[in-house]
Amino acid sequence: MDPDFLETEAPDSSRDGLNTQGVYIYRPANAKPNKPQNERPSKRRKVESDGQERQDKRPQGTQACPFVPLLNGEESASSVDLRYNAYQRLWSKQEAKIQVCGRFKMAHAVDTYLTVMQEVLEDVDSKILEEVSSFVKGSSAQVYDGCIPSALVTVGSNVSSLGRLLTRLNERLITGGEGGVVVLESGDAPNIKTTLKNIIRGAVTNTEGNDGYQNFLTDREGPRLLAYDLDLLSDYVQRKGATKLVLAFRDSEAFDPNLLTDLLSLLSSWLDRIPFTLLFGISTSVELFEGRLPRSSVALLRGKYFELHEASNCVDRIYERLQAETDGEFWLGRNITGVLFERTSDYFHTPEAFFRTVKYAYMSHFFANPLAVLFSKDFAGLPRGKLCQAIRNLPSFRRFCEDLVEDGHPKQVRNLLENDEYLFQECSRYLETGKQQMRNIFVAVKMTHAFLKHLNLSKKTGVSDISILALSGELHDSQIVGDILNTMKTLDSDGLKDLLATVPETLADSPQLREVQADFEALLKAYPSSGPLRSEYDSRNSIAKATVVQQRVQVTKSKAKQPKRDVEYTQILDRFHATLEAYFAGTLVKPQDLFLYEVFLLDMRNPLKDTFAPRPRFAIERALSSPFDYLMSTSDTSENRLSAKQPATAILYQLYLESGAIVNAYDLWSAFYAVFESDQGDKCDERAIMALFYRALSELKALGVVKNSRKKVDHIAKTSWAGL
Amino acid sequence: MKRKQPDSGSDDEYRPVSTPKRQRTTANGSVSVNNNIIGNDSPEASPTKRTPRKSNAATPAALKESGLKTPTQRAKAKALFTTPTKPTAVSTPTRARNADRSAKKKSARLLLEQDDEEVWDGADRLAEEILEDENGAPDVTTAGGDKDLKESVEASAEPTEKPAQTPKRRAGRPKGARNKRSPTPEGELPPHERYFFQNRAGPTHTSNNTLNKVSLLTHEEYFDTLARYTDPCKREKEFLLDLHHRSFPQWDFEFDQGFNICLYGFGSKRRLLQSFADWLYQKHSPASPSIVIVNGHTPNISIRSIFATIATAVLGADLPSKLGSQPVEVLELLQSVLKSRPSQEPITVLINSIDAPPLRRAVNQALLSRLAATPMIRLLATADTPNFLLMWDINFRDQYNFVFHDCTTFSPFDAEFDIVEEVHGLLGRKGRRIGGKEGVGFVLKSLPENAQNLYRLLLTELITMLDEGHNSDDEDGGQGQGENNAHDETGIEFRMLYQKATEEFIASSEMMFRTLLKEFHDHQMITSRMDASGMEILGVPLSREEMEGVLEDLVLS
Repeated sequence: MDPDFLETEAPDSSRDGLNTQGVYIYRPANAKPNKPQNERPSKRRKVESDGQERQDKRPQGTQACPFVPLLNGEESASSVDLRYNAYQRLWSKQEAKIQVCGRFKMAHAVDTYLTVMQEVLEDVDSKILEEVSSFVKGSSAQVYDGCIPSALVTVGSNVSSLGRLLTRLNERLITGGEGGVVVLESGDAPNIKTTLKNIIRGAVTNTEGNDGYQNFLTDREGPRLLAYDLDLLSDYVQRKGATKLVLAFRDSEAFDPNLLTDLLSLLSSWLDRIPFTLLFGISTSVELFEGRLPRSSVALLRGKYFELHEASNCVDRIYERLQAETDGEFWLGRNITGVLFERTSDYFHTPEAFFRTVKYAYMSHFFANPLAVLFSKDFAGLPRGKLCQAIRNLPSFRRFCEDLVEDGHPKQVRNLLENDEYLFQECSRYLETGKQQMRNIFVAVKMTHAFLKHLNLSKKTGVSDISILALSGELHDSQIVGDILNTMKTLDSDGLKDLLATVPETLADSPQLREVQADFEALLKAYPSSGPLRSEYDSRNSIAKATVVQQRVQVTKSKAKQPKRDVEYTQILDRFHATLEAYFAGTLVKPQDLFLYEVFLLDMRNPLKDTFAPRPRFAIERALSSPFDYLMSTSDTSENRLSAKQPATAILYQLYLESGAIVNAYDLWSAFYAVFESDQGDKCDERAIMALFYRALSELKALGVVKNSRKKVDHIAKTSWAGL
Repeated sequence: MKRKQPDSGSDDEYRPVSTPKRQRTTANGSVSVNNNIIGNDSPEASPTKRTPRKSNAATPAALKESGLKTPTQRAKAKALFTTPTKPTAVSTPTRARNADRSAKKKSARLLLEQDDEEVWDGADRLAEEILEDENGAPDVTTAGGDKDLKESVEASAEPTEKPAQTPKRRAGRPKGARNKRSPTPEGELPPHERYFFQNRAGPTHTSNNTLNKVSLLTHEEYFDTLARYTDPCKREKEFLLDLHHRSFPQWDFEFDQGFNICLYGFGSKRRLLQSFADWLYQKHSPASPSIVIVNGHTPNISIRSIFATIATAVLGADLPSKLGSQPVEVLELLQSVLKSRPSQEPITVLINSIDAPPLRRAVNQALLSRLAATPMIRLLATADTPNFLLMWDINFRDQYNFVFHDCTTFSPFDAEFDIVEEVHGLLGRKGRRIGGKEGVGFVLKSLPENAQNLYRLLLTELITMLDEGHNSDDEDGGQGQGENNAHDETGIEFRMLYQKATEEFIASSEMMFRTLLKEFHDHQMITSRMDASGMEILGVPLSREEMEGVLEDLVLS
């Protein structure tokens, strides 16, 4: 910080005239006539950090790249661009897999809402969509004896899927020319007039657009109707020849029940002119929904009940798509996976939010890790100096070198340390092998998953659970793999045949397995007719004998005598078992043991956890109770006690923490004053401290930790306890 | 204990504490005195002297029972942990003094007030010891004063209160004596335990001090003093801001990738937002991006006006003359416009304090979240309160699509709300200062001479009464009086004022008199209330100094 730093930041910026307005369009301060034109830029430069200043110096062409030079600002501009391009390449590939971008606000694709839908989610949702749309098509007031046809959809935790469902239903109805969907949220329905107005507008703008709606209102014959007159809607329905008008209450629980009652009776009276179909999104249960409405309203409705699937299934599939594809280049580590799934299982995210969190993880890796540039295909052309230095500082590099030395290759290590060129070559080589190993890990994960399903071992274990084990390097020793290997031994020949079919290519191509397979086939041919072959581990081949020895039952198992073909089969099974075990041992390495894992594996819990699950209360409590955590003090006030050097609000807060449920304001003030007095002695100005006290107290009030108390005069009530 | 007071030499003992009290009412040196009191209570004040005496005072039984060795906390701890079954163990020191009391009375007392007495005893003895301490070593206390600050508010309140209760004790068991205890639990309690500790049933125990002892700040004084004040943490705060400035490119990238941003943490983030707007503008120049800034704390800000401003930013001159009165309509217009303009540059909306009271309601949040979910809208919101996340359910969160960043700034909320007003509201003194001295003076200038004269009369009467009140206070020397006086605002009886007004030919009829008063009422220049006997009492919602100031102006003009 340069000394004139403080002077340049005069408080006037917060006091300029515009600031008092509630809402305004920002104009830079130098556009104002009363300020000299040249003042602003110089001021700005001081405000900014060094990083941006360097960014300004970058060539014009790279202006669009939002990344900042790393490595203490010494990263070259070309490297920054490569990093950005690598991010875009990699992410767009992942995004294409999931095609979730329709739900995002992509900067250049204005409205992909309707055109691109999630591939994965589509599969999951399509069944229910079929059901609902066939219901909508098939139902009418005639079918239901004059009741309003209504679909009750329970969504449970999978809130976002209702939105997807509705947009797709709308799409279908519009393309079929049958009508449309009007989505109502509780916020749209403060009173009956506004609700009707919103329904009418929603229905008209859905097909005609906003201008169409305005025209529709004005270009009418006869007296002008008010915007909430359902005559308008019936007119519209007649004009369009619509046969279905779906009215969807997205969050039906949040609607005012009285309003809903009125609305339902009104709609039912219009049912002969407007073909309404209602759709209620219910997050609790149908019984509760029904219970909130009076019977007379419920009697107006008749329809069907649908249930949307749970979100977790979807999330698992998204995860599998992102991580376990064979062309993967970048992976999320164990910790991040854990955080993601924890939040999903706690119903804190929708599948979209899950996906966005993953996206954020990618973003943060490429934004903040200078080594991410190694993903770029042409990183070889980059200047070596800093980048090599960065690589040499990696923990994995150190471990790699240590291993090399232990294995007796000191020369290679020396080369790595001294020769930038050699380091680069080795890096790109090891990066490829590292990525390959990661891919292999996930192949093994998928195989494990397939085996689990195949062997009927566990229905609940998903890819994500296995991935977490694999990413922490624990899968090989886990129960899951152990179970698989044990169960496999008991398979008969038919089972083995099926199992071999599910073995992934990478394993199937290995010579050992080919041999096993060939021998197995030969064996099958040799004994074509005699039913499935059984191994000696099969329970049917062992005989349990129960003998009574000294009043105790002893069960002894002994192997029955086996025919020759079974003995041969057992040998093959043993070989297969050994191959599989070797494969697991070889593939399931701990990712953190790979050289350069820092480049292709992101495993920091923190940026993600803090950005998506913030703890604002903790942050504020911490800021107030130990302010020097934030204010890096230059003086020696590191010790944690109250002093006048702390910000006033922090002092007051700490006094407040000690108090009981109600606080005497005068005593609070005197304690506050005493803090200053003991610190500054007689010099302190009482009125100034009083002003600080005012400020601090008002801030505590704004934070909502104190409120007015009527119990006693001049007392305030405490409303929050730290740490709860 | 109760008895001890009238007959024993307790007067001497209590004097040191009641002295500061008296000083406070007369002299204005309340603050220094108070600090002294805090010092009195400090446990470390004279650890060497105190500890031995303590062990003498407490019976071994009590010690064993509580088992707590910390000198300060013992009495409190006892209040908490002793069982009422061993009352005799505690009252040992008083027993000697009470020996000549009749046995009948004594047993009655034991029967009636056992546990109260016991608990009270402990706390009282603490006070006693403190007082003796002060007598013995007055110079030590001040030295230890600041050490004890952690002991805090109530600790400081405790000794000051004792004298206030002294006269009452004669009447019966002291109210709340049973629950006499410190709100600060000893040791490190886990947060939930602390909550229960501080919320135990029974009357809470705080002192009877009121803020009448200090003169509160007026707006002008507040701003004057603050303008002169220099913040000791200024450098650190600037540094903190500078750190946040460094994340601007990151935020921009997050915007670019379709995320919205929410900043939380302690302190006003207004300046930060302002400089982010500057930075964005500079970065995207010469394209001059559209940035809309919202100040959530502005009273009666409407969502519709926010949407309308954004629509203006997008459409400029093409804005339709009629936007529609509902916020939803404006929002939908905005969305359809953005949809129809694929080449539109994104609009950045910066919302200061999205959790401010005007925006806090669920309806408003629903609308804002829909705005946030609109493509091409980039939303950066700041939140100040600790629990703002409770505003949003999973649906809102999904629509907002926020990434959160901790942006603690420690900046004061000067621009956000009227601090003096807030504090006075909090202390229940809001009505006192509407308009203040200036406001009253201003209104008076526009009133006819008769009205001015009436107000002058009213002020003169009130000030005279205040003066008399003070005199009587001094004569009395008691503590209760000052408090009483301050409690009910000084007021003059309606009839009396009318009489004086007719005497001075200000009002010739009651009708006229009332008309004049009504004018004052409308401007909140007078207060009126009924006293116990049903008489109407008129007062002025001004402090004495202000009254004098207004009176001076009136007389001079």
